[in-house]
Amino acid sequence: MAIMSEAPKPDSGMVERFRSVMLPHLDAAYGFARWLTRDPVLAQDVAQEAMVRALRYFHAFRGEEARPWLLRIVRNTWHDARMKQRADQPLEAAEEQPTEGPDPEQSAMIEDRRRHVAAALAALPAESREVLVLREIEDLSYKEIATVLDMPIGTVMSRLARAREKLAGDLRVRLGRRTNGLRDL
Amino acid sequence: MDCATCESMVEVYLDGELSAAESAAFEQALERCPACRERLEEARALSGLLRDLPAESAPDLLRARVERDLRAAGGARPAAAPRLPLRWMATAASLLVAASLGWMGGMLSTQQGRDADELVSGYLRVAASDHPVDVVSSDRHTVKPWFAGRIDYSPPVHDLTTDGFPLLGGRIDVYDGRKVAVLVYGHNQHKLALTLWPASADNGVPPDISQRDGFVLAQWRHGGFEMRAVSDVGTSEMESFAKAIDRTIDSDR
Repeated sequence: MAIMSEAPKPDSGMVERFRSVMLPHLDAAYGFARWLTRDPVLAQDVAQEAMVRALRYFHAFRGEEARPWLLRIVRNTWHDARMKQRADQPLEAAEEQPTEGPDPEQSAMIEDRRRHVAAALAALPAESREVLVLREIEDLSYKEIATVLDMPIGTVMSRLARAREKLAGDLRVRLGRRTNGLRDL
Repeated sequence: MDCATCESMVEVYLDGELSAAESAAFEQALERCPACRERLEEARALSGLLRDLPAESAPDLLRARVERDLRAAGGARPAAAPRLPLRWMATAASLLVAASLGWMGGMLSTQQGRDADELVSGYLRVAASDHPVDVVSSDRHTVKPWFAGRIDYSPPVHDLTTDGFPLLGGRIDVYDGRKVAVLVYGHNQHKLALTLWPASADNGVPPDISQRDGFVLAQWRHGGFEMRAVSDVGTSEMESFAKAIDRTIDSDR
């Protein structure tokens, strides 16, 4: 975001406007952070930091779609946190650990299928994961996704196609549907 | 439309990004192209599987933390704005009341206040989380070695089940710019987070118990360790917890 310098200190009017415009999207911010970080604790930290930043940049908000605007800040916050984490512990590839999905305890109790889907999605590389989450879970349009990820729509489409292909392949293996495909599950 | 063309449109169609005219042309082509019908069904199935994943809303404690940030930014809530979920309001209100009580008491200097904030945030990471500890164990012989290589000292680890505070596990946090050990204990439905690191002074200091933001804080020095405990238990439980910690450290020598 280019317009983040010399942010005026938010006055109470601005904070109130922020409450009504951005706060309703806290669930989305947390959910997206959760898929990005794959860690419920870290996701809270990222979402909180993103809300603080969003308030700081809120003076530059021009009434566009609020959710993509906020999710873009979530993603930037996560990027910064990841860079910092890598600098702190260069030997531990904390990001690329295998994972059971966003919430192993709960997932273990819900159906097998959902668990497999969540695990397969969580295991995708970040650049596939984020675009799929924004499209299928956040239900954003290509244009909105392009805003969040700060890339051309054409790139969004090719990444999305790649991500879907990879996820479908992984899921067929996980679910043992090599021949039947993914229907009627 | 040849198959390569309709194949390239399958996902865009499914994503609702084709114009009305393009959609109509695609649907027409689809009737003559079983391979692309198959692709569309498969893509639809994948989308359905993802959309079926349960959505998760932001935890109350995250809401409370954000609420606190907004308040700190100068936006005290107007009195009549009943738009928030009740639970959230209650949490935010209790944080506010506790914060102002702490203020009026004037017991905490600014530096201490910041330390306490840091400790309370650390506690929230424990209490608000689905996996509050990095090493889950009630066995001190599992927890203690886990810290080796992660931090530069070896904290005393004891299970206090017989005192009513079973050991749940441990985690690493950052306090005052340094990596520290956090031991997590349970007490009925509550959790206690004990942050401890080697003291620079030898003499013991008895527990000083205070309240902040609706949480109980205890700080003391014992057995060569600085102790900071945070919890949402009552002050008397915190007192017994500190006593139990000191007693087991003494009996260990």
